Amino acid sequence: MYRLALNMLFGDRAKLAMLLCGLAFSALLMAQQSSVFFGIMSWTYTPMVNIRAQVWVSDPMVEQVNDAKPLRDTDLGRVRSVDGVAWAAPLHTSFVQARMQDGNFKLITLVGIDADTFAGAPAVLTQGRIEDLRLPDTVIVDEWGAALMGRMTVGPDGKPRNTPLKVGDTFEVNDIQARIVGICKVRRAFTGGPFVYTTYDRAKGYTLGARRTLSFMLVEPQKGVTPAELCDRIERDTGLKAWTSDTVIWSWGERSLARNTFWWFWTNTGIPFSFGTAVLLGLFVGIAISGQTFYSFVLENLKYFAAIKAMGAGMGVIARMLFVQAFTAGLIGFGLGAGMAQGIGRVMIEKGMPPFVMYPQILWATFALVLGISFVSALIGIIKVSRVDAASVFRG
Amino acid sequence: MSHLAHTVAVRASGVDMFFGTPENQVVALQQADFEARRGELIMLVGPSGCGKTTLLSVIAGTLTPQAGTVEVFGQRLDGLGQEELTAFRRKHLGFVFQSFNLIPTLTVMENVMVPLLIQGRPYDEAHARSLAIIDKVGLKGREEGRPNALSGGQQQRVAIARALVHEPPLLICDEPTSALDKDTGGHIMQLVRDLSRSPERCVVVVTHDHRIFRFADRIAEMEDGRISRVVDDPKLLDTTHL
Repeated sequence: MYRLALNMLFGDRAKLAMLLCGLAFSALLMAQQSSVFFGIMSWTYTPMVNIRAQVWVSDPMVEQVNDAKPLRDTDLGRVRSVDGVAWAAPLHTSFVQARMQDGNFKLITLVGIDADTFAGAPAVLTQGRIEDLRLPDTVIVDEWGAALMGRMTVGPDGKPRNTPLKVGDTFEVNDIQARIVGICKVRRAFTGGPFVYTTYDRAKGYTLGARRTLSFMLVEPQKGVTPAELCDRIERDTGLKAWTSDTVIWSWGERSLARNTFWWFWTNTGIPFSFGTAVLLGLFVGIAISGQTFYSFVLENLKYFAAIKAMGAGMGVIARMLFVQAFTAGLIGFGLGAGMAQGIGRVMIEKGMPPFVMYPQILWATFALVLGISFVSALIGIIKVSRVDAASVFRG
Repeated sequence: MSHLAHTVAVRASGVDMFFGTPENQVVALQQADFEARRGELIMLVGPSGCGKTTLLSVIAGTLTPQAGTVEVFGQRLDGLGQEELTAFRRKHLGFVFQSFNLIPTLTVMENVMVPLLIQGRPYDEAHARSLAIIDKVGLKGREEGRPNALSGGQQQRVAIARALVHEPPLLICDEPTSALDKDTGGHIMQLVRDLSRSPERCVVVVTHDHRIFRFADRIAEMEDGRISRVVDDPKLLDTTHL
């Protein structure tokens, strides 16, 4: 009977198309919005991805990675003296204004790294060498930032175009010159501004007047010491807060700075509510369109279901027929919707805006919700058919 | 057990059936008695509203009477639950409906297969048996077509094939020729008679169509919710009020 149930469904192409549109749109909305949401949320802990160290140490009051509370430089020595520390390097992060050649100002994220070890340096340089940061007044700018900080020029076709900064270009931070010696590739951040890397000491110079400039300390454990163990020791010996660099937000590790950052934004901003509303909207639209269409499909076939009942099909068989029809439509609708979401995601990833991260969990959750929509649709149909009197087939 | 008991296919005794509320009650059947024998084609005739369809529904087990007993091939229906009635219909009954009730999105073959698939028969077996009966009703070569592409007579042939494919002992036909012209109606009834003729099978036909009375072995006339008389010869009926 299930084969016939499917043939009944596929035989009504107009209804099937409408049903699939509703389910696919719903799946698309839920998967796409969730992926953009997790994309944006993944930007919140971008420093953890761009700056790689096994253990991060911060002021005890720090709640998330974008909220650096400056430490004293002497704290670095205290951390280095903790048993199990292989090395510890300073890290400065701050938002400062950069004055461009054309007089324009841009807000940048200044990252100061240790000039000796280059701990925290960007992993991928598309131009230049990291060692060039040891030259006077030098900085490395990220690819996207170079474009953002670029200037408008007139192209060969006479049209205005943005010319990205390149190696050799200069700008000023607090009236101090910054000369670009490299272009790097890093992940973009929630806080926006271009990443400008320099040495820790030079960063101190760029942030004139700040008494404390040590934002974080990047620490490497000795062999045989786990990051979690070292965090415990650092906190016990120094009273500072130590974090692991684990960026798996689904984990339960309370020491993960990325995970804490993720949940800080979850609870302290309206982002989850905004995207949650869009996902719920997708769910409700799916239920409304698919439920209505499937119900109308059942209504159109009601007299045939009544005839099948009269011929001796129990409600169990009919219910299973309706479930097969609804779940098959759900499966196809999900495939179409998730496929479209992936396609849109690819375009987004290529363009870099907005961020798009489609975790397998998003697909599973969307799949479950689409099946839920199918279940509700089938249930509405089953209730309707169950109320039809088999004797009604004799009434012409 | 008497010889008569062996020959009785359907027996309804003292059947009452009311619809509506106690204050606004419509009497459909009142102390109705009906009997159909194995091997015969019996027609239920009577004016509109006399209770023919209700009696047919009671015999088919799709309606449960408020009073009286109904026995079909020795099985009392009045004591059965819904699931047992459904199972009984599945095994013992075949239906030909007034408006055919062929599922338009399925092919002729798939429509005919429905009763066998409901019985849980394997798809291949259902296919083979359906093919054979489609051939018998003269629609060979139209198996993969949709019912809507067929004429009314051809659609009713498909319905007959569907009703008989699982070889039920009781065939219920509700106004099988009302949607057909005279010649087609005659052909359809001839087909019903030819295909369903079996010493063990009983065919009950509800009809208004006096043009097909000649196909009946007996005719039971209904009036005001009960059988008023049963005749062997259609000429004995006054058809002016039908």
